[in-house]
Amino acid sequence: MANHAWVIDQTSCIGCHACTTACKSENDVPLGVNRTWVKYVERGTFPATRRDIAVLRCNHCEEPPCVEICPTTAMFKRPDGIVDFDTGRCIGCKACLQACPYDAIYIDPHEHVAEKCNFCSHRVDQGLLPACVVVCPTESLLFGDLEDPRSRVAQVVASRPTTVRRPEQATRPNAFYLGATATALDPLAPVHADAYMWSERRRGGAKDHSAAIAALEAEAPPVRGGARVAYDAFHPEPWGWKVALYLWTKNIGAGVWALAFLAPALGLVALSRELRLAAAFASLAFIGLTTLLLVWDLKRPERFWTILIRPQRRSWLALGSFVLVGYSGLLGLWFLGTWFGADETLLLVLGAPTVVLAALASLYTAFLLAQCEARDLWQNPAVFFVLLAHMTVLGAAGLLVAAAATGGLDTIAGFARAALVGGGVLGVAALLSGEAGAGRTTANARAAGHLLVRGPFRTHFWLGGVLLAGLVPVAVAALAPAAPAALLAAGLLAAAGALWYEFGFVAAGQAVPIS
Amino acid sequence: MSVDDPVKRSGFAADHPAAGGAMQPGFEAFPPVERWDDWTERDAHGREHRYSLVPTTCFNCESACGLLAYVDKETGQTRKFEGNPLHPGSRGRNCAKGPATRNQVEDPERILHPLRRTGERGAGAWQRCTWDEALDDLAGRIRSALKRGEPNKVMCHMGRPGEDGFTERVLGAWGVDGHNSHTNVCSSGGRAGYAFWMGYDRPSPDFANAEVILLISAHLESGHYFNPHAQRIVEAKRRGAKLIVIDPRLSNTAAQADHWLPAWPGSEPALLLATARHLLVEDRFDREFVRRWVNWEASLQELAPGAEVTFERFVHELRVLYDRYTLEYAEAETGIPAAQVLAVAEAVANAGTALAAHNWRASAAGVLGGWLTSRCLFFLNVLTGSVGTPGGTGPNTWHKWVPRPPYLPPRPEQWNELTWPREYPLAFFEMSFLLPHFLLEGRGSLDVYFTRVYNPVWTNPDGMTWVEALRREDLVGRHAALTPVWNETAWYADYVLPVGLGSERHDLHSYETHAGSWIGFRQPVNRVAAERAGHPTADTRETNPGEVWEENEFWIELSWRIDPDGSLGIRRFFEAPDRPGEKMTVDDYYGWIFEHSVPGLPEAAAREGLTPLAYMRRYGAFEIEKAVYLRHDDPVDMAGEGLVVDAAAGLVYGPPPVGPGLNVAHVPLLPPDGAGRARLGVLVDGEGRRGFPTPSGKLEFFSSTLRDWGWPELAVPTYLPNQVSRARMDAPDAFALVPTFRLPVLVHTRTGNAKWLNEIAHSNPVWINPEDAERIGVRDGDLVRVETETGYLVNHAWVTEGIRPGVVAMSHHMGRWRLAEDAGTDRWSSARVDLRETEPGRWTMRRLEGVAPFRSKDPDSSRIWWRDAGVHQNLIFPVHPDPISGQHAWHQRVLVRPAQKGDREGDISVDTRASRRIYREWLALARPASQERGLRRPEWLLRPLRPTPAAYRLDPGPAGPAPDARVE
Repeated sequence: MANHAWVIDQTSCIGCHACTTACKSENDVPLGVNRTWVKYVERGTFPATRRDIAVLRCNHCEEPPCVEICPTTAMFKRPDGIVDFDTGRCIGCKACLQACPYDAIYIDPHEHVAEKCNFCSHRVDQGLLPACVVVCPTESLLFGDLEDPRSRVAQVVASRPTTVRRPEQATRPNAFYLGATATALDPLAPVHADAYMWSERRRGGAKDHSAAIAALEAEAPPVRGGARVAYDAFHPEPWGWKVALYLWTKNIGAGVWALAFLAPALGLVALSRELRLAAAFASLAFIGLTTLLLVWDLKRPERFWTILIRPQRRSWLALGSFVLVGYSGLLGLWFLGTWFGADETLLLVLGAPTVVLAALASLYTAFLLAQCEARDLWQNPAVFFVLLAHMTVLGAAGLLVAAAATGGLDTIAGFARAALVGGGVLGVAALLSGEAGAGRTTANARAAGHLLVRGPFRTHFWLGGVLLAGLVPVAVAALAPAAPAALLAAGLLAAAGALWYEFGFVAAGQAVPIS
Repeated sequence: MSVDDPVKRSGFAADHPAAGGAMQPGFEAFPPVERWDDWTERDAHGREHRYSLVPTTCFNCESACGLLAYVDKETGQTRKFEGNPLHPGSRGRNCAKGPATRNQVEDPERILHPLRRTGERGAGAWQRCTWDEALDDLAGRIRSALKRGEPNKVMCHMGRPGEDGFTERVLGAWGVDGHNSHTNVCSSGGRAGYAFWMGYDRPSPDFANAEVILLISAHLESGHYFNPHAQRIVEAKRRGAKLIVIDPRLSNTAAQADHWLPAWPGSEPALLLATARHLLVEDRFDREFVRRWVNWEASLQELAPGAEVTFERFVHELRVLYDRYTLEYAEAETGIPAAQVLAVAEAVANAGTALAAHNWRASAAGVLGGWLTSRCLFFLNVLTGSVGTPGGTGPNTWHKWVPRPPYLPPRPEQWNELTWPREYPLAFFEMSFLLPHFLLEGRGSLDVYFTRVYNPVWTNPDGMTWVEALRREDLVGRHAALTPVWNETAWYADYVLPVGLGSERHDLHSYETHAGSWIGFRQPVNRVAAERAGHPTADTRETNPGEVWEENEFWIELSWRIDPDGSLGIRRFFEAPDRPGEKMTVDDYYGWIFEHSVPGLPEAAAREGLTPLAYMRRYGAFEIEKAVYLRHDDPVDMAGEGLVVDAAAGLVYGPPPVGPGLNVAHVPLLPPDGAGRARLGVLVDGEGRRGFPTPSGKLEFFSSTLRDWGWPELAVPTYLPNQVSRARMDAPDAFALVPTFRLPVLVHTRTGNAKWLNEIAHSNPVWINPEDAERIGVRDGDLVRVETETGYLVNHAWVTEGIRPGVVAMSHHMGRWRLAEDAGTDRWSSARVDLRETEPGRWTMRRLEGVAPFRSKDPDSSRIWWRDAGVHQNLIFPVHPDPISGQHAWHQRVLVRPAQKGDREGDISVDTRASRRIYREWLALARPASQERGLRRPEWLLRPLRPTPAAYRLDPGPAGPAPDARVE
């Protein structure tokens, strides 16, 4: 079977951008987005100055993370190796933008769906070479079948030293570079200044933070001649406040009812019917809100339902949707059962799978984030424990509010205190161990860690994650063990801290340049 | 594709798939030619389209690369432009500007109908008018001028022509010496340096076969001929050729070089002469070539009068002459370490006869005496014997074919002093950028002035002086702007007449992209597609958008209206060759040319059962010759009838040819001998050879023309200080500004309507070395004031290691402006500005709004994300006419300082009174044609639209206007 690949010859590429405009023309690519672009990096001190060039685009990976994360099979790998997309199936969730470690995918501003280089598959299917290959003045773009020994691509890959972008991502890229320098291919090697040599640098993407990363990582003040990007294309942060808020509402939706169910189920404390109903209602409301945020964040929200009818079973975005639907359904039944006074045993039996789904509703995000191959910060195993911690803390806070509303604050105080302490300790431990572990993984993770812990997002980490969502509830629980009102306040502070942390966590993960 | 496919038959050396190379078996670059009439292809959205594939030629830069338009048979829209695989120059490939032609065609800002000014000139009030109204008005005025005997009141000012001589011949037919060009803001310096050596004024390097490529240019990103040359340079590099690039700025080309030599701008001759000295001293030059082909005997008599005339003595004198150009001297002048100069000199010495070198602009267009850069560069070709060799550098005309048209009009009888003033007898060519100064100081006036795809207010130096002249209706009676889009100059026109883009017009051209020759045919693709579909069209307006016309038909129609009854003797040049009295059509014109003037074309067409015109409509290009080398060495048949040898001059004469040849490319005029015999060649070792079109017939180390026309001290290749010499940088904030560098994605103001290109490039910051930036207290991105003798601009700094300390640079193309909300210049690329004359001669410009999204039928116009339009710089440049080449010397000595309080990016301030003063200072450097000699210009030198010999005679009278007229 054919396996199509690029060879990009940077020994002969003159950086003329013909590929860029030929691609825009062939594929009707709007302003503001690119399927292929040319990056220039300047380095060295006059007169030993160099300008390195790299043509960047989809790598048509052997293990394409965009395909794995796509919830609707809109991204798919063809039998001939082309990673293609189906605009009719895309819901615009942008997960593939988080999965692609190469910034190759964009949301088309016209159709609002994910698109990228697909080797001009419509041309390939007609026996025509991709448009960029045809236009290239210097024959620096080679397209061909790695399995066909007659193809130039196969011959070059077999006989000459080639490199790939970001091999540490283990995607097995099928774009092989000849003579590309590390400064041109490594997104963290050069710094992005305020502008480029002949264009503005758009704000709102990871490249805004490159100078901060360099400063955080530098062991000495910068010297002249450091690598600097002289031209590049813009890539926005795909996920914003809605996703951060979604993490928070989801943890509330998962945690409040889960704690309300577990407390009596484990025989710790009996809860009033009102409190149980209130907790279930709060969870339902917050899961509903979560779903609303998720759908709202889609670029094609009207296609949301296609996740359910055409799911891509390896995508944690699809699996997570099923979890949310399942959890809401069972929780709804449990709520009705409680409302109508159903048998407690029956409710217990119903609650057991529901609580599993509640936990999954919070924790599946760790697996989803693990599929976001572009964001190494989010790959950290600590994410799982932070979610668990925040679900617990937020659940306790929510339960305290519900109890205050239903008049049972005193009954629940002990249980909530334990949950707050447990969640707080786990949270702080996870955050600190995650930070400690980040340095041992990839450069991207290290950079994101620096941004989050010591950089522009540090208040999110320290104030939000460590102090408010961790140390404050622990301290209050220890210092004021018998003051439910103080616990309630601590819970609210912890909830605010968790939200503040999520904003930083979501932003920092996307704040490291990947192209 | 079948084996018989012309793509494969053409036998290109390259293995590029666009030229038929096999990259991946089973895949082709283009649809097979036999299916171009009816090609079905699925687009990226999966929709199927039936196309007529029509070849044409790009109209962005002058490279004239082939394009293939995909004309949708259903909608008539051109969905995309790919390359034309049958084009011998571009070989199916393009730069970024080729595909972007689609933007230009679809630009919602296009002017679709003729417009007539309604208010004051320059006030921006327009109303739609008809072509007939404009034609009748212009024709009436031209006719009146001709009947009054004032033909030179008519002038057509051409931007880069993109065609070979059509418009020039129109003016000839009118009897008007009114051709004006952009040449002197572009290539006069480059041309003069080559022309004084070999008569031909352009180099044609055979990059593909070179061993060493020496560029004082940036051919991997711009220039004539960017894409075709870049392909061949990279081919040579792949073979192992060495690339040497001289440029004070790290261009993309320099970034690919084996040796980047960031010489101080204007110091290149010192570097080149040091290389020459090395070749001479080390005896590593091609003695035999120099002995046979250089006018060494005459040169020796000038260098050492009375010395024994031996070649060895000449070599000795050369060594003496260039003795001071040591490696250390070169280092001191250029800033390039002596060791690196030596390495480059060694590389040149090792190039054998395969040294491909090119200089067209750079310092040749930058400094006083810039023409010495190309003169000294070609010296290296001469010394290495790499003139016209495989891998060497030949003259352009060997590789260019301008087919003879049905009629060649007579030569104009009156000399135009507004374009060819007597102060500049050696200029290459029209002193175009001095026109407003000449008009304002009373040297003359114009009744009808065409700017044709030309934007002098923006493109030329000292644009405010242009505005001051153009707004004067007493100086410019009617100004008609023939342009596809709005531009800054059209704003000061009386008529804005929309003419077609690359896919909407006919033109014919041929350029020296390699050591062969070809013609390329630009066609209105919708018209061709309609004809293929059985709907022949008599007027390109029928198939173009709106009422957009093409120039060929416009000029034919205008000429008929100037001379409706034929009484002025003009109409006959615009009648069908085979139907006297009937108006010539473009089919008549090109059909005749393809049938009569292109060797091999009728036969090739016949083989396919096509007429030559049908063949060209189908394929768009034709290769005439391949592997053209060493033409100068072609033997002259010494036994030929009527052959006469002038042994003293070393020249061979014979009977003049009957009528013009098939190739009417401009060549220097070889004066006949006293008996009217034509010069056929030159004696070399006693044998007749074709030689070079110079007075001596050889390559002229010593130019008697330069000596005789007042410049004996510059008659041999030498090096001069100039206005940006390092010695003149006498203050900590004084810099040499290089304002001319170009980017790979833009070309002058022609690409302002290409959204994909402007998205890539829209800023032109001031490049400054960190060392300099620190000294003047500027950080990356800070605003700086760049101040010339006549004004200043405010722009942000790009602090970069990619430029020589002491030199600053700003790229060309940007700083487009418009004076109205939605008209004046394309909104894709222009800032809206407030331009005002605060007092006579004091102009200020302030940016009111940068580039911004706007609503149009193209949804992309609301997605414009960039705000910068760059800062225009030519406005603050006074004119710097080189006294010999006539080139505007672009480089400026500037002061660069941190911006002052209240300065805003884009601020520009100009004092045109100061620019008048500097004009006069530079004018005083000129050495006018002398009354004694009695000629306005050496007759042998190239000149577009060459007038009659009588017109060359210099009438007694003062140069320029009467003294009192100079006072304004």
